[in-house]
Amino acid sequence: MTDHASIDGRRVALAGDESVLAAARRLGIELPALCHLDGEPPDGGCRLCVVELAGAAEPVAACHTALRPGMEVSTDTPQLRELRRALLALLIEERAPALRADPAGSEVERLMHALGVPGRGAASTPDRSHPLLQFDAGRCVLCRRCVQVCAGVQGAFVWNVVGRGGEAQLEFGAERFADSACVGCGACVDVCPSAAITDRDRADAPAPEQHTRSTCGYCGVGCQVEIGVASGRVVCIDGARTATVNRGHLCAKGRYAHAWQRSHERLERPLLRRGERFEPVSWDDALGFAADRLDRVHRAHGPDALGVLTSSRSTNEAAYLLQKLFRVRFGTNHVDCCARVCHASTAHALRSVTGTGAASACYDDIELARAIVVAGANPTEAHPVLGARIAQRVRAGARLFVIDPRRIELAGLAQHHLALRPGTNVALFDALAKLLIEEDRFDHAYVAERCGGLAALTAHLHGLSLDDAVRITGVSLPALRAFALDLASHGPALFVTGLGLSELTQGVASVKALCNLALLTGALGREGAGLLPLRGQNNVQGNADMGAAPDLLTGYQPVADPAVRAHFAQHWGVEPPSAPGDTLPEMLDAAAAGRLRALWVQGEDLAQSDPNQTHVLAALERLELLVVQELFMTETARRAHVVLPAAGVLEQSGTFTNAERRVQRVRPALPPPGEARPDWEVIQAAAQRLGLDWRYPDPAAVLAEITRVAPASFGGLALERLEGDGLQWPCPDASHPGTRRLHTQGFLCGRARLSVVPFAASPEASVPGYSLTLLTGRVRDQYNVGTMTRRTALSALAPCDWLELASEDASALGIRDGARVRVASRWGGIEVLARTSDRVTEGICFLSFHHPETHTNRLTGPQRDPESNCPEYKLTAVRVDVC
Amino acid sequence: MTSRWEAGFPLVQVREKLRRGMALPLAVAETARATGQPAAPLLAAARSHADLVAAPGATRVCRGTSCELRGAARIAEALSGNGPVRSVHCLGYCHRSPAVLSANGGVFVDADPARIALDFGRPPPLPSAPRVGSLASEPIVTRRIGRGDFSQLSKARGDGAYQTLLKALSLGREGVLREVERSGERGRGGAGFPTAVKWRAAAAAPGDRKVVIANGDEGDPGSFVDRVLLERDPHGVLEGLALCALAVGAELGVVFVRSEYPRAVQRMGEAAREAERAGLLGPRLGGDGPPFAVRVVEGFGSYVCGEETALIAALEGERGEVRPRPPFPSERGLFGRPTVVNNVETLVNVPWIVERGGDAFAAIGTKHSNGTKVLCLDAGFGQPGIVEVPFGLSLRDVIQDWGATSCSDSELAGVLVGGPMGSFLTPDRCDVTLCWAVLAQRGVRLGHGGLVAVPRDTDLAALATQLLRFVATESCGRCVPCRAGSTRALELASRGVLENAAALRSVLWLMRNASLCPFGREAPGPVETLLALAEREVQA
Repeated sequence: MTDHASIDGRRVALAGDESVLAAARRLGIELPALCHLDGEPPDGGCRLCVVELAGAAEPVAACHTALRPGMEVSTDTPQLRELRRALLALLIEERAPALRADPAGSEVERLMHALGVPGRGAASTPDRSHPLLQFDAGRCVLCRRCVQVCAGVQGAFVWNVVGRGGEAQLEFGAERFADSACVGCGACVDVCPSAAITDRDRADAPAPEQHTRSTCGYCGVGCQVEIGVASGRVVCIDGARTATVNRGHLCAKGRYAHAWQRSHERLERPLLRRGERFEPVSWDDALGFAADRLDRVHRAHGPDALGVLTSSRSTNEAAYLLQKLFRVRFGTNHVDCCARVCHASTAHALRSVTGTGAASACYDDIELARAIVVAGANPTEAHPVLGARIAQRVRAGARLFVIDPRRIELAGLAQHHLALRPGTNVALFDALAKLLIEEDRFDHAYVAERCGGLAALTAHLHGLSLDDAVRITGVSLPALRAFALDLASHGPALFVTGLGLSELTQGVASVKALCNLALLTGALGREGAGLLPLRGQNNVQGNADMGAAPDLLTGYQPVADPAVRAHFAQHWGVEPPSAPGDTLPEMLDAAAAGRLRALWVQGEDLAQSDPNQTHVLAALERLELLVVQELFMTETARRAHVVLPAAGVLEQSGTFTNAERRVQRVRPALPPPGEARPDWEVIQAAAQRLGLDWRYPDPAAVLAEITRVAPASFGGLALERLEGDGLQWPCPDASHPGTRRLHTQGFLCGRARLSVVPFAASPEASVPGYSLTLLTGRVRDQYNVGTMTRRTALSALAPCDWLELASEDASALGIRDGARVRVASRWGGIEVLARTSDRVTEGICFLSFHHPETHTNRLTGPQRDPESNCPEYKLTAVRVDVC
Repeated sequence: MTSRWEAGFPLVQVREKLRRGMALPLAVAETARATGQPAAPLLAAARSHADLVAAPGATRVCRGTSCELRGAARIAEALSGNGPVRSVHCLGYCHRSPAVLSANGGVFVDADPARIALDFGRPPPLPSAPRVGSLASEPIVTRRIGRGDFSQLSKARGDGAYQTLLKALSLGREGVLREVERSGERGRGGAGFPTAVKWRAAAAAPGDRKVVIANGDEGDPGSFVDRVLLERDPHGVLEGLALCALAVGAELGVVFVRSEYPRAVQRMGEAAREAERAGLLGPRLGGDGPPFAVRVVEGFGSYVCGEETALIAALEGERGEVRPRPPFPSERGLFGRPTVVNNVETLVNVPWIVERGGDAFAAIGTKHSNGTKVLCLDAGFGQPGIVEVPFGLSLRDVIQDWGATSCSDSELAGVLVGGPMGSFLTPDRCDVTLCWAVLAQRGVRLGHGGLVAVPRDTDLAALATQLLRFVATESCGRCVPCRAGSTRALELASRGVLENAAALRSVLWLMRNASLCPFGREAPGPVETLLALAEREVQA
């Protein structure tokens, strides 16, 4: 028995269950295979990869013929050449009149050229109804690669083959492509061999001259992208095929939402406010003015009069320098970032339960999970690439448990969906924990070995009544019981969480109560299980990591700890102030009260995104100095005294950290427009204007300092080590491979703590006169305040914010679809368009906040979690009337 | 995958809803919700199955070769005024062609194009069973259908049905496998693959919840023995299936019966229910064996679903399309479970093999071909019907002696053996011994054993065109050469077989050499023969 075969006379060693096609490609022998996709089962339809086997009467297809010992394969004989030519000619004649042989054309057209199939190049009319993709049926060769990826990667099932035999056609399930179920991920475009499905953004653009690998600048998934640039503009963005995070997949935002970069509205020069107007000035004048004013405030009112917000959109290096600047130069700990208004509760809870305030799991745990709990997160809209992976895992057999007041897309795939009343997470999780304990379905060994607080928790739960839980949450007892027992049977589960837990007055308590479930089922520190909070912004994890927090320095080192301060003093030359500063909402309160007088805001639009907008605007109005580093004239920038034009994600260098603690490279694909400058440079320039002798030559030097000030977490990071897939912290030294999964060997805090957290109703629950509950959040085709996405083709998919109402409420209120309605809370009122949606249940309405003219955050109020200070975006009592 | 298994067969659910008057999109949406699968691909799949998109209440006119030769086109024309008409391949009444199936299940045989529209108003009498004979020392496959209707459980048991199964429970898995191995039986559906090899592979495959499927999607127009077996000896089929299940350790059995055989669907369903009520199937096979549930599934009107991977795809709710192998169904079949798919005739042999021993079976026939083969003779023969012959006889002798037809140029242009994917034999080529080795050596494809007599004065070019129409209509559409090639070949043939002979030959060459499955690879054979004969006629 030999372990070799031969292909075209060349010896080839057998390698597992390899197809002849794969083995040939390994030898560098290219066989045409239009229907084949690596990683998918062979389709076997196109037959172009026919080869001859010695001793076989007829040719076979290389894609689904296994290479066997002793096999003698010929890939190039006169008969095979004629077969391939005739096959391709038949195929093109059958259904692709628009194609013609072209050595520089699509894969099929190049093949036509190579095999001598001229084609007709007939005129055809593509369907251009969709803003992102177009489909030209006259170019389709029915290879079905799109069918495979749309089902197997995105799970949107847009493309299907309909009809038998010669009548078989590719269809997208609608009259116009715009009305199909397409979510615009573009995976089909990447695999289409005949350019039948193409990207509209690059339809008329020149071919890219250079590609830059970088990290996507939208959500916290951290997809790796290849940015194509030609003639000084971005012409295309593709997913990086080899990236472990996204494996070549992207969402519509990551792939298509880049036109903001060349928007004529970009800020290109520093601006100084002169009365009601802004005047372009030199960088020198702008920074000089800002430094002057900061110094004046500092001198006159002391460190507590200054505050800073780093940007979760910008790099780790920028965030690090900015928090350092304010701590070192002004001695203030009023340092925060937008993590405060999203996952602060999660981080706080996880830190107190496990010792580490970040995801315990990694994305690859999704594919390893037997059960997935999605609680208060809507990944298919907000984190589409992970949402698709979760959905695929569920289709492959994992159990899915969804906890969400809304019928999110994943609820349709779930075995259990608990549609609890908003703000009642704690009551729900406590009830589930009670069932696990009282039905004796928890992981005794795990709890005994790794957790503390079981007795107290048991006692607490014993005192709770399930009937009360049913009354509070609105979830039936059988549903609760089925969920708990099924979770016990199929766990340990991967808990994917979002802002539906965090952004509540019981945000920390919600996450702690969820942690109880994770600990009781033995989920933390295990493969295919654990906690995976989905971070909202590309670098919100990194900003928190860098010390953009009033109480924590770089690497989560408490500022209140003298040893920590002494350690920082060694590197900074100055000891940071000891008293924890104000959180973001507290800074705004202080500004409104006149205590905080100067605020530096790096890339964050507080005026649109922070709750209780009326209060926020009043606070900003009172500031003596508001410095804003921005891409565009946002609602916040309009209120600034100094506006500094910033480099965007496509123009920056440094690192971002994603939701699985993975630090990845960000590389500039092109220079910023006009005089706009990367954030880290601007901060260094400001520091120099403020008299500090900062001389970081590049972001690498900043990262090097980060590794020194926080060695336990980041000691092993270095830009050259971050090539490719980056590193997951903790990564304490240069030889450490990074940490995929936390708590595998135990918890940083010793034993994880089971928490006793009593339920407390939100002050927004049952407010007389306000009968509906408003949830705010994002939709798939816009991103946060829309600064970037509103300036791209995606805006056509979500041109305005809609108030989504349950049909029962709409009819009770006499609201027709598309009607303009008045929405009022105790904190403010707006007018907005309304439509009914089966995603929300009776009594609940939903509104996104992507468009500034909506003023969604006039409705949200001042309620916050007492421990984390995270605002309550996910629950506001409102009333709705027809205008 | 467990959940999909438990959710049942999606297209069956879709059809049930359609029959209750629901529109297809809604039927699919509800089924998708119930089975937890995405709706869009299910809708697309449903739309690739002829039955699920056909107008409700359509009359089905058989366009199998025998019916075509005897006026099917004129019948379809004559019936076009009587509501929607569909062409199907085939109704399994080749012995009394042409045949028509009315929407309410009435079968019209020996249909006369001049009278059919008038006759159609009245319910037709139940067609009599075909003549069944045996040239073997004792009949095996036809041992019951040769003697009457054994669809009732009591009558079948009175004739020994299930006795072998009960004995086999003590014989055990290995005992059954050993006998089937010794018998050397090869699949009777057309491919001739050794039965025991499939069984052994599935038995050895890791995984539980294995599946055995009786393939009652008798496709080849010209053969009808499976229809008669399903209707008149359903317990023989079930016993064979149960023995297979015992041998491979399967807990689910499916009998997949083509929808063109409504009576077989009904009889098979009743037989399975009766056997389950009697405790022979169900929770305990044979009363104290392992669990074995049987579901009878009606096909969806796609010829290609007679191919085992396409059959499995249809059961899973996908397009009725061939899938590349490997993986073979015996490793990864229905819903990913190890699955054995056997033809009905193959399975009916099994109780006899286990009862009498593999050696006894092997003693019948020739060295390379054990047992018997059933041949079906269409209405074009002097004596049509079903005949079971031991391997080793000459085809000519069967045609002449049992079919009462002179195998000569004066009477026949030839015989289409094994359906449109079989072989067209001129009278001089009928001198062939029925034996796998000889047939292979002579390039004769016996297929499922259907024989259609093609009379001397037949327009062979027109027959070739008809065969191409069959291929183009029933091609599943997956692979380029079969899908585009058959369409192109039909188009060429319609414009003139002789005028376009060269172009036609090159398309047929492409289909034969490059198609994914035997359908496209073998369909060119008879067409090429007919083309050559037609050319010779012109020259002569």
